[in-house]
Amino acid sequence: MYKYVFRRVYQLIIVFFLFLVSSYVLFDAIPGNAFQNLLLNPDLPPEAYEQVIKLYGLDKPLSERVILYIGNFFQGDFGYSYKHFPRTPIELIAERLPRTLMLFAMVNIIAFYTGFLIGKILAWRRGSKSETWITVTSVFSYTIFYPWWALMMLWFFGYKLNWLPIGKFLYPEKWYDAPYDSDVIFVSMIKFTLVVSVVQILVYIYTRNIESLSLRRNVRFISLSILAILSILYWNSGDLAIQKPYAMDIAYHMILPIFTVTVVAFAGTALLTRTTMMEVMKDDFILTARAKGLSQKRIRDRHAARNALLPVVTSFIFTIVTIIDGSVLTETIFSWPGMGQLILDAVLEEDIPVAMASFSFIGVFALIAHFIADISYAYLDPRIRIQSQG
Amino acid sequence: MSNEKDIAKSIRRAALKKNWRLFRRSKLGMIGLYIVIFFFFLSILQPILFVTGVWNKGVYDPVVGYSEQFQEFLVVECPTEYPTEKYKNRSDCPGRTEVNVRTLYYSDAEVGDYIIQNLQPAPPSSEHILGTDSLGRDVFSQIMEGSQVAFVLGLLSATLGVGISTILGTIAAFFGGKIDAYLMRQSDLILMLPTLPLLFIISAFAELQVWHLAVVLGTIGGLGGSVITIKSQALQVKVKPFVDSARITGGSQMNILFSHVLPNVAPLALLFMVFSVTGAIASESVLSFLGLLNIDMSWGLMIYLAQVEGFIFSGMKFWWLILPAGLSVTFLTGGFYLVGRGLDEVFNPRLRDR
Amino acid sequence: MNILEVKDLDMSYRTIDGEVEAVKKVSFTVKEGESFGIVGESGCGKTSVAMSLLQLQADNGKITNGEIIFNGKNIVGLNEAELREVRWSGISIVFQGAMNSWNPVVKIGEQIREAMREHYPDKTKDENTKKIIELFDIVGLESSIIDRFPHELSGGMKQRAVIALALSCDPKLIIADEPTTALDVVIQDQILKEIRKVQDVLGLSLIYISHDIAVIAEMTDNMAVMYAGSIVEMGKTSKVFSDPKHAYTRMLLESTPSIVGPKKKLRSLDGEPPSLINTDPYCLFSYRCPNPDDNCQNRKIEMKLTKIDTDHYVDKCCVNCG
Repeated sequence: MYKYVFRRVYQLIIVFFLFLVSSYVLFDAIPGNAFQNLLLNPDLPPEAYEQVIKLYGLDKPLSERVILYIGNFFQGDFGYSYKHFPRTPIELIAERLPRTLMLFAMVNIIAFYTGFLIGKILAWRRGSKSETWITVTSVFSYTIFYPWWALMMLWFFGYKLNWLPIGKFLYPEKWYDAPYDSDVIFVSMIKFTLVVSVVQILVYIYTRNIESLSLRRNVRFISLSILAILSILYWNSGDLAIQKPYAMDIAYHMILPIFTVTVVAFAGTALLTRTTMMEVMKDDFILTARAKGLSQKRIRDRHAARNALLPVVTSFIFTIVTIIDGSVLTETIFSWPGMGQLILDAVLEEDIPVAMASFSFIGVFALIAHFIADISYAYLDPRIRIQSQG
Repeated sequence: MSNEKDIAKSIRRAALKKNWRLFRRSKLGMIGLYIVIFFFFLSILQPILFVTGVWNKGVYDPVVGYSEQFQEFLVVECPTEYPTEKYKNRSDCPGRTEVNVRTLYYSDAEVGDYIIQNLQPAPPSSEHILGTDSLGRDVFSQIMEGSQVAFVLGLLSATLGVGISTILGTIAAFFGGKIDAYLMRQSDLILMLPTLPLLFIISAFAELQVWHLAVVLGTIGGLGGSVITIKSQALQVKVKPFVDSARITGGSQMNILFSHVLPNVAPLALLFMVFSVTGAIASESVLSFLGLLNIDMSWGLMIYLAQVEGFIFSGMKFWWLILPAGLSVTFLTGGFYLVGRGLDEVFNPRLRDR
Repeated sequence: MNILEVKDLDMSYRTIDGEVEAVKKVSFTVKEGESFGIVGESGCGKTSVAMSLLQLQADNGKITNGEIIFNGKNIVGLNEAELREVRWSGISIVFQGAMNSWNPVVKIGEQIREAMREHYPDKTKDENTKKIIELFDIVGLESSIIDRFPHELSGGMKQRAVIALALSCDPKLIIADEPTTALDVVIQDQILKEIRKVQDVLGLSLIYISHDIAVIAEMTDNMAVMYAGSIVEMGKTSKVFSDPKHAYTRMLLESTPSIVGPKKKLRSLDGEPPSLINTDPYCLFSYRCPNPDDNCQNRKIEMKLTKIDTDHYVDKCCVNCG
């Protein structure tokens, strides 16, 4: 067992190393470099360009630069951004990441929750006319041409109806004399969302053992109401009362992107849940549950859906891995200055340190997510729990 | 010997027939199949129209065609404040047969005059079912061309990708050990790279055409996650009794691999292929939409043009520039996805409803 | 008194190849405290009969005709809510393949309690747990198994737990559908003893379904032999065994080894079970029958059970054959 883990970790390190090298070589292969447009400036002597290149070490051969970069990387030195000079890639990521996480964490939570609910009902109503049409609609909302859809939504809600803001994540005029930086607000919003979801999950887990169904429902309802009241009080207390209008402004700008992405993302979950539920429903224990005289709803939620959850959680985790990748398009269209835009600009402008740092961040993120996936499997499926102990 | 072959053939035919009957029962699969057939018909209709001379290449060519459309316009002056009696909001003026006097730099016409002008993009008419774009090119013909691009690209990259992943996946399952470890880490590496930025990079150092893009997408797809799935399927087949019996009766490694393991992995591979067609078409459209490809005409490019020329925010006034292309991408990818769902029901007995 | 009366039950499945008539004109009765056996080869419709008693047939299956009178009430055509009351507290079932009868992600105790909660909503958790421990005691399981997951138990333990599950809501009738098929011989014997014991202790009625005619002989008072969806012979188990009338019954008996008595050569049944799609009402065994008579070969007499003795019925077509 230990030997296996050791070998796996050792292989992962090699993969990560190769990932760094190949990313660097790829960035370098793009024609031109980050400072090329200096040459376009007729007022600048050509020596200046040479000097800048030398300053950033871009005159050295590729192999030397790769070795230097990776050496520094493992010492925790990620260099400076070419484009935003005095700032380091870490600073840039630390600024952008909360914005992306906030947006896409909301999207994924909503999408997976509604998708799971709808997929479960679809599988249960299999063969009915409404099921067919809802499934077909979900397929098209899953395969919808995303940039086109996003633009249509922008046009419809932002321009035609003028309900929601077009692009950007805040109204600059409102923030002119704001006492806080937008990042501070983002961080407190993320903290709040995290705490609320953790409390909700805890409530759910602890009420699972209550025997009477109606009592369980009441306890859950009451605790959710308390949570809602507490969060209203929280946002009206002290420091946060000042932050509230700004947080509201950001939340208002989040509505449209969240809605647009959720329509696509929820359909994927719904279709996956539908398929796995349909498989699980062929299992013998569903027949046992029916023979026991349980109600349809209980068989569906307790027996079928519980077993169909595993692949859905897997896909949830893999979606989290691809959040940054997937955010590129959304952030471009909605002018949301997050990680996706950062990575896109870095690639297009050949800001190699920023691009490398973002890429390796995504890589590490993926590794961590896989680790989380393993743990949550063990929680959801007791069969795996035993194997990992033995 | 030939008798045996005939029997094998008839068994295979019966199995195919049964699979087709199963597929036909799947409503989703059939809806998808009709959609795919419709677009396939569109894509072969265009060359037929050109060859038979129904369509003149000079007018209807999707890339270099030009259709003259002249029409009488009423010269009006757009108000500065909205709403007014005639126009509800800014995008209503000028109307479809009106022209704003402030945009007439080269003419001395005054408000209330009628002038004759080239009408581009022209709305749908009997000659141009879906109208023309701002360069006077027939939109319907562009849709057909886009459909050809989608089919060529989707099928090519899916075949390539699934070919690669099937071969590598079965090899990994069959030989195990170092080869397996190498292939698995390789797909880890591919999975770690963010796809869209990677495609940006590739498109930055090469002018990508349909063929190139198909190869790139196929390779990335083929080396990535699907190898892992195909491998786990092949591992299941490998321990089946018939593989053991083939080994006991003296089948060579290659023989077992090609005549026993591969055919049993094939259904899953086919399924993957259908789903990766969806992915390939979507990727092409996104890249075209961002203007990163060197393709003459595609659905993504049509949306890209409509967006850069500012027609998207003019709303539904120029719907023929926005809706057909976007819906085509959505429906064709959805069609392939539905076909995949239908095939899933054929190959996975646990998904059948009876 | 009859606890269960099945009259002219017809049941069919819609499949891709056509309508499969899985159960045809099946009638039998089960008395209170009695154990009734159904025997037949695979695919003869035994399990379909069991499923239609609880109306748990797959979605494409449908009871097309007949009555199932349980405890004096016809349960065919009841709605879902009424059926749920009959299920488990009236008729419970021990499925074949206990391995898959348990939901892998829910604890054993919870899965049993769940059924009790449905039928006795007023009982507390402790009362339910106490009862489960009593039941575990009857079937020979330790009480600690309540908190185990299904995959932590052996096959035999799972099967015993399934029996405890079947008893949990005090049913009047238990259907045991090949409960020992997937188990090894020693465990099989233990489980059979357990079922016998439970039946004696609690005074239940039992329908025992098996392809193994020896087990039926050991377990049941009355029995029916099914072939291709119909009952071809029915009666007191001792009578059917001592004087089998139908050619099929005889062949089943000859294909089973016996430890006592003279050494005999075992016979195997030639041919395949017939397809059940679009059948005619005549004897479907005729083409496998070793020496059919004229009636049988000319396919003139429709299938119907006739009485040949007290408590002994056989198919009309085959009264004199064999």
